[in-house]
Amino acid sequence: MGKPKIGIYGLTGCAGDQLNIINCEDELLKLFDIFEIKSFVMASSAKDEEVELDVAFVEGSVSTEKDLEHLQEIRKKSKILVAIGHCAVYGGVQSMFMGNEEWMERYKRVYGKESAVTLTPPLEPKPLAAYVKVDAVLPGCPIEKEPFLKLAGKLAHGVVPRVPDYPVCAECKWKENECLLLKGEICLGPLTNSGCGAICPSMNIGCIGCWGPMAKENMKSEAMLLMEKGFDMDEVAKRFAIFGGVERAEALKSLVSTSTKESGK
Amino acid sequence: MRVFKLKRENFIPFMKGLSKFGELWGPVRKGDRYVYANEPPEKFVLNAIRTIVPAKKFFLPQKSTILKFKNNEWLEHYDVKKRVIFGLHPCDIHALNIYHKFYTRLYPDPYYLKNRENTLIVGLSCLPDENCFCHLTDTETVNEGFDLFLTDLGDKFLVWVGSPKGDESLKLVKDLIEDTTQKDIDEYVEWRKKRRSMFKVSLDLEGMPEILTFNYDSPIWEQMGEACLSCGTCTMVCPSCTCFDIDDEFDIRTDEMNRQRYWYSCVFREYSMVAGGHNFREARSERLKLWYTHKLVGFMSEYGSPACVGCGRCVVSCPVDINVITVAKALLKEKPDAFWARMASSNVEVQHA
Repeated sequence: MGKPKIGIYGLTGCAGDQLNIINCEDELLKLFDIFEIKSFVMASSAKDEEVELDVAFVEGSVSTEKDLEHLQEIRKKSKILVAIGHCAVYGGVQSMFMGNEEWMERYKRVYGKESAVTLTPPLEPKPLAAYVKVDAVLPGCPIEKEPFLKLAGKLAHGVVPRVPDYPVCAECKWKENECLLLKGEICLGPLTNSGCGAICPSMNIGCIGCWGPMAKENMKSEAMLLMEKGFDMDEVAKRFAIFGGVERAEALKSLVSTSTKESGK
Repeated sequence: MRVFKLKRENFIPFMKGLSKFGELWGPVRKGDRYVYANEPPEKFVLNAIRTIVPAKKFFLPQKSTILKFKNNEWLEHYDVKKRVIFGLHPCDIHALNIYHKFYTRLYPDPYYLKNRENTLIVGLSCLPDENCFCHLTDTETVNEGFDLFLTDLGDKFLVWVGSPKGDESLKLVKDLIEDTTQKDIDEYVEWRKKRRSMFKVSLDLEGMPEILTFNYDSPIWEQMGEACLSCGTCTMVCPSCTCFDIDDEFDIRTDEMNRQRYWYSCVFREYSMVAGGHNFREARSERLKLWYTHKLVGFMSEYGSPACVGCGRCVVSCPVDINVITVAKALLKEKPDAFWARMASSNVEVQHA
């Protein structure tokens, strides 16, 4: 078996995920050793887009017609498609207001009424899975070096990796941290995919949720808990929205205002 | 059991003497709580109550490599250090005894056993705070499972010898200990009375196995399930929780495959998921019910005693107040002071602004 052929691509986003791959300086030669890199525009203009790929890594959200065409081409020629970074996996911060029907209004506010952007028609930002089949994901804003190398290691051995189905709190407890929620801080640990190693709570900073919403999160309970601790519901909803992506946008609509009657307190 | 006396001024030299056995670990402050850390004994906090995670981390670490695969060969991987672990309270030692039963009974776990063999366990007495309830779980004193145990009587410690290994270790500090006198024994009896009178939690925990069994379909599980964040904290901090998961990590730097074992939790959704995608406990309430019935009923029928040692870690760690005390209170029809109970009775209206 030859080396797996891979491509690394970016749609609409900050390119921070591709950059963090390049930042794996000490491991880059090893990566070249285990993979045959066919396309990685950020690192080299030499590329071969004709060849079939074993694995395609794609960052960024689908935010233009051109993004969509590009994604569909990549999907067609790749055996495994891996969404990397929050934008590709969940839609990114640009999708936090997903579906509230004010998207075109916001677009015009930013780019002007007679849109100056004429290269490609815009689309409401969505994650890759809204359009194509995604085989594996690596969340994070941006992705982290160690989780990326682990993912690469699995892919190089033909294993399709999956996101652990437990929250940041697990890794936070492994690190023997005090619970920030109990200390009265907003921490999105219980709602957020683990994998980062609980970096922020380990520095006494509440989790902001950049690894994206965990499947079957209990947003209602955490919202009520924060309200009981005296936080304003709108403030809480905003925090939940930032990295909530399209997954959370719908659920948040019903959470904007919560009132308690005859609460035990 | 043999018992000696250690003057308080000799505590630091005593610990330093024991550290000839191995790395010295004890409770040190972290924020408002405590953790077991490899620090000089001057930093140990002698009145520390319940570390954030229990001493199980020494025997089944949060994450460890158990096998390596390289050049088509599997190799067992051990990362065992000789250690002295100081500061385990009676509840912590009882929990280790539960661990011992679990990891040595059907399939003796070589990793656990090697860690255990290389550890000198030095217990320490404690005075309960408002969340301790070891007096209700019959774990407020301990007679086995430690090598040495220190009872803090103020100007002195009583040093109980719990094992041949403990006896052997005293050779390292033989000039620092002396025989006890009748006065020491009298003081110890008084100390026990004082300690006994300090417990605050009052509850019929003994009846829990039956009461839990009767309440298998109680609506309180649903109420707790509504509030549970499935964060796994209860199981991570519980000293008798034993569950782990396994994952193979390929290290591209070394071309090795590392089989990782790490703490896992029955309150996580995938815990009860099987091949084909069926989940036996899809609902959070079902998973909580599993935890409590296993801890307080299932363990009882398998090992003869419940797996709760009354350390209070769940009480101080669950963000939504789901813990042994509030669950027991709810089942006993006493109104628990708990977020989950308030959430259930709050008649919440969730509206779109």
